[in-house]
Amino acid sequence: MENHDILVRMDALETRCPKLGHQVPFGYCRKESGALPCSKALVCWSHRLPVELVLRKFLGDEAYEAVFNGTPKSRIQVLLEAIEAAKERCGTASDRP
Amino acid sequence: MEQIKVFLDESEMPRQWYNIQADLPTPLRPPLHPGTGQPIKAEDLAPVFPMNLIEQEVSTERWISIPEPVLEKYALWRPTPLYRARGLEKALGTPAKIFYKNEGVSPPGSHKPNTAVAQAYYNKVFGIKRLSTETGAGQWGSALSMACQMFGLQCRVFMVKVSYNQKPYRRSMMETWGAECIPSPSDRTQTGRKILAEHPDSPGSLGIAISEAIEDAVGDPHARYSLGSVLNHVLLHQTIIGLEAQKQMEKLGLYPDVVMGCAGGGSNFAGLCLPFVRDKIHGRNVTIVAAEPTSCPTLTKGPFRYDFGDTAMTTPLLAMHTLGHDFVPAPIHAGGLRYHGMAPIVSHLLEEKLIEARAFDQVETFTAGVQWARAEGFVPAPETNHAIAAVVQEALRAKEEGKEKVILFNWSGHGYVDMSAYDAFLSGKLTRYELPEEEIRRALAATDAFPKP
Ligand SMILES: Cc1ncc(COP(=O)(O)O)c(C=O)c1O
Repeated sequence: MENHDILVRMDALETRCPKLGHQVPFGYCRKESGALPCSKALVCWSHRLPVELVLRKFLGDEAYEAVFNGTPKSRIQVLLEAIEAAKERCGTASDRP
Repeated sequence: MEQIKVFLDESEMPRQWYNIQADLPTPLRPPLHPGTGQPIKAEDLAPVFPMNLIEQEVSTERWISIPEPVLEKYALWRPTPLYRARGLEKALGTPAKIFYKNEGVSPPGSHKPNTAVAQAYYNKVFGIKRLSTETGAGQWGSALSMACQMFGLQCRVFMVKVSYNQKPYRRSMMETWGAECIPSPSDRTQTGRKILAEHPDSPGSLGIAISEAIEDAVGDPHARYSLGSVLNHVLLHQTIIGLEAQKQMEKLGLYPDVVMGCAGGGSNFAGLCLPFVRDKIHGRNVTIVAAEPTSCPTLTKGPFRYDFGDTAMTTPLLAMHTLGHDFVPAPIHAGGLRYHGMAPIVSHLLEEKLIEARAFDQVETFTAGVQWARAEGFVPAPETNHAIAAVVQEALRAKEEGKEKVILFNWSGHGYVDMSAYDAFLSGKLTRYELPEEEIRRALAATDAFPKP
């Protein structure tokens, strides 16, 4: 079987997503964070796939380390960064009530 | 007939929320701003939250009065009943007495409206016309939709597209309550439009939906953003659960030895437990346990850090339990509880050893949930199953020790909109192994031929 076909089959495998609360395909987890995988991908898939191997090969070691071995951001960190980014996109909206 | 429910009269509903910040032995470490390294100021949050809620976020007042219009709305389902789980006690053959607070009786079916209603009210009195939020599975989106309808606010929910398509009934609930439920990425925001231009078929993600909801709020002076867990004011609003439970236990002449709840962002756990943590601070002997999934063991495995999130030192500093780089994940997956970062208050209490945490795997939690449904009738939410697994463990321990422990836990929601998860569990799909590993390993040996994502 061609490698590409194997990937297509892997992408179609489904597991329950602990963030969303329903089944999602591996292809979703592989690209959940923009073009990068979800930081939970190892936990959710390691019982079914050699997921570390797959993702290291796809991402390269540097991107892999950044996703899985960095300190994950807290919800408040995410929020503040999103506020900063949104203010830049929308202006500071100083006319607020 | 033996009494299994304790009701409070509406007039007995607590009139104030309890703020643990007044009683903490050491104060919470404030979150620090990524740019300045200084504690986050009200202005940093002002673009997305109204000032009256930001004031609650930082308040150290012990008791905060619940506004009358909020109490009126609460009265539609509050006070919630305290049940004794006689069926489960019998099934386990335990001498323990098991009590639970049934938060599944709210219209959307969970504890979430306790804060949704309060947040909608405070936004309304601050002059806000519309709230914006994100939702994954749909629990929070539906709670906020109902709350906005109650106070005449418009509500816009950015629902992760893959969930929007998979969970049509949560979307229908939101629309029934008058909210606009938009699949994310959408064309409503610059973030969404950019993603759609590059990936028209993007299934979305919580990260994208959060960015869209925040951009939507920041770009409209009449709109604000709303979050359903993690933040101090959200936990504050949930304390009505524990305050009611204390009155109900008093009516029975009992005090719990163990208090438990499942912990995702920390709000339902904190809602039940914070009033008991107060008692503990003042010398009472009570064990307080947060139950979390082994797939996301923030409290049990994540280190408590006050650190930058990256080597470039650009992210905010925050003291919390988080899944750091030394965490080796268990080879299983679990359902329901979503945040990898725990509420700062809950993280702090763990550091102070005022609470404990235990992790449970997915199969164990669904096994407990099904055992519960067969013994007690009600079908729990997958998140709630984590608390039930903790209760079963504690009740069996009491049996071994021959102790008549009193266990109290928060039954945070029903599972009737999550039956597909039960389907998967009952048909053994949650652990199914589909593609032979050998085949994959062989294929991966020649990965150069793989297409780039
Ligand atoms: C029924 C139920 N219980 C628990 C949780 C976990 O959240 P938290 O820890 O913030 O209460 C959720 C989250 O959606 C939920 O829907």
